[in-house]
Amino acid sequence: MSLSAGLAEAVSEARVDPDYLRIEKVSKRFGSTTVLSDLDLAVGRGEFVSLLGPSGCGKTTLLRIVAGMLAPERGQVAVGGRNLTRVQTHRRNIGVVFQNYALFPHLTVAENIAFGLRAQRLPAALIGERVKEALAMVRLEDFADRRILALSGGQQQRVAVARATVVKPALLLLDEPFSSLDRKLRETMQIELRHLLRDLDITSIFVTHDQDEALVMSDRIAVMNAGRIEHLDTPARVYARPNSLFVMEFVGQSTRLGGTAAGGEHGSMAIDTGQGRLRAPGSFMAGSAVVLGIRPEAIELGEGPGDAFNTVRARLRDIVFFGARTMLYFEPANPADRILVDLARLPGGLAPGATVTLRWPVAETLVFPAP
Amino acid sequence: MIATPATPAAAPTKERRPFDPKALIVLPGIAYMALVFLIPVLRLVGDSLRGAEGFSLSGYDRVLGDPYYVQVILNSLQLGLVTTLGTLLLGYPAAMALSRAKGQWQVLLVALIFLPLTVSIIVKTFGLTIMMRRDGIVNWLLVNLYVIDRPIRLVFTEFALYFGMINVFLPLMILPLYSVMRMIDPRLGEAAASLGAGPARTFFRVTLPLTAPGIVAGVSLVFSIAVAAYVTPGLLIGDRFMTMSQVMAKAYLNLRDFQLGASMAMIMLAIALIVIFLATYLARMGVARDPPR
Repeated sequence: MSLSAGLAEAVSEARVDPDYLRIEKVSKRFGSTTVLSDLDLAVGRGEFVSLLGPSGCGKTTLLRIVAGMLAPERGQVAVGGRNLTRVQTHRRNIGVVFQNYALFPHLTVAENIAFGLRAQRLPAALIGERVKEALAMVRLEDFADRRILALSGGQQQRVAVARATVVKPALLLLDEPFSSLDRKLRETMQIELRHLLRDLDITSIFVTHDQDEALVMSDRIAVMNAGRIEHLDTPARVYARPNSLFVMEFVGQSTRLGGTAAGGEHGSMAIDTGQGRLRAPGSFMAGSAVVLGIRPEAIELGEGPGDAFNTVRARLRDIVFFGARTMLYFEPANPADRILVDLARLPGGLAPGATVTLRWPVAETLVFPAP
Repeated sequence: MIATPATPAAAPTKERRPFDPKALIVLPGIAYMALVFLIPVLRLVGDSLRGAEGFSLSGYDRVLGDPYYVQVILNSLQLGLVTTLGTLLLGYPAAMALSRAKGQWQVLLVALIFLPLTVSIIVKTFGLTIMMRRDGIVNWLLVNLYVIDRPIRLVFTEFALYFGMINVFLPLMILPLYSVMRMIDPRLGEAAASLGAGPARTFFRVTLPLTAPGIVAGVSLVFSIAVAAYVTPGLLIGDRFMTMSQVMAKAYLNLRDFQLGASMAMIMLAIALIVIFLATYLARMGVARDPPR
């Protein structure tokens, strides 16, 4: 991925000041519903961290607490060592790109961008200069005097980004900023925004329920569930080594087989599943109910060489063609299970109804306690 | 990196669109207004220009040349302006609260504010005079709160007049303000705050400009009706504070001087129009843009 070089840079910088944004023991309730419970999060300087989770997991609430639009019941928020918990929004210097952009409809593009600079009471000449730079940065020079409502969705998003970043915020919060763009545009804008924020060296928190978006853009992903961060790590590790069944199911697709641990030794164990006895790394007490997960691209067709592989036989039910890849859906013995395989190229002669042998490395078998 | 957007198209030229027959649905409304408004107004113009011996401007001359009538005009203007200002100051925060209220609360508050509109102005005004008598609830309250030593005369004072006028006209100010405010995205205030704007800047640079259409509508509505109010001033203050409406009524009913009444009516119409245009103009110019710094 072209972003990986930049990623290394950002990570090294984050190491210089790994606690740039520090969220400690933050709790928030709405009535009798606990939305966040004792949540901790540290984000390094210059890092881009996504809060990923289903709706209702508390990610937007956390974002609003960091912005100062909601007050937590307990806990504190600090940026660059400055405790902001009791500081009002307009004194925090935290930029926000809203889901619907929240651009001022009575102002032009340039006036929207100038709004924060005027609030800082900068001299007019400097404001003009900075607005011009910001317009150039998002390639909207020719749109300075346009009304907001005369812009397309993608252009509005660029104005929102320019408006939030032109004031050089200590932290930038993005609340699902791509959700109203169509898919093609969304993919372009994701890459564009990521480059932009890296060039500006702005520490960013990005809220999304779209796992692809989080994987593409983030230095690190915080997968949230029921008011807690379940897994915080780089996209590659969150995907390959999810901390929990929830994270595995939420990020990416996977084969899922329920089973019972049948004992083992030296960090390797046997598990009885509907597809027969399989092996996995880990140690669970014999008899405990577990769930196995295998990412679809880890699975290949055919018998494996040697005993480093798990093999199962299953009947092919569906072939779904995605262009660059093809997804195969199999019929598991146990209807609660799921078996799917992601192939770059479909072997000739394979058709639904065929019974196929599948294999995957034992080391790539994930084990979780059954829910 | 960044996809270059298409260069903006030249400013859209005013092209003539083909006639849409659906536009004809405005015809009944226009016909009705012509019948009940335009024709009477034209007749009033005629009356105001017709003296004992045909065409004459003496009606306007009598009104504008007589200090008594000038004072009447000033009284009406004062009545309209104080009522408008009072309802705006009380109604703006009320409309704001109403637009931010949620669910059941909003239903209840809307009902509370608009229910008084269903009560006849005469009933409401008589109710107010009862409240403001020497032994009425207002005096009782003021005495028992030690604001005054003994009951004072309230009925037939300017206090009673404005108290009553604001009471009667408040819903008419809140209604247009509320309908504009509820369309404003509450995130705009948060966006302004995130950009470093304090509450005052957010109000003057965002809230006020965006609610300006509601202010113009409310001010125009309340002023143009309040300046012509007849029943409420008549009952709450009477002859001590003559307004244009009262002079018109006297001119038509007692003096049978149609030219005087019609001239007064035309002057009132002109005042109302000037104020409405002024309010619109000020709203457009005054608050819509950041002043150059």
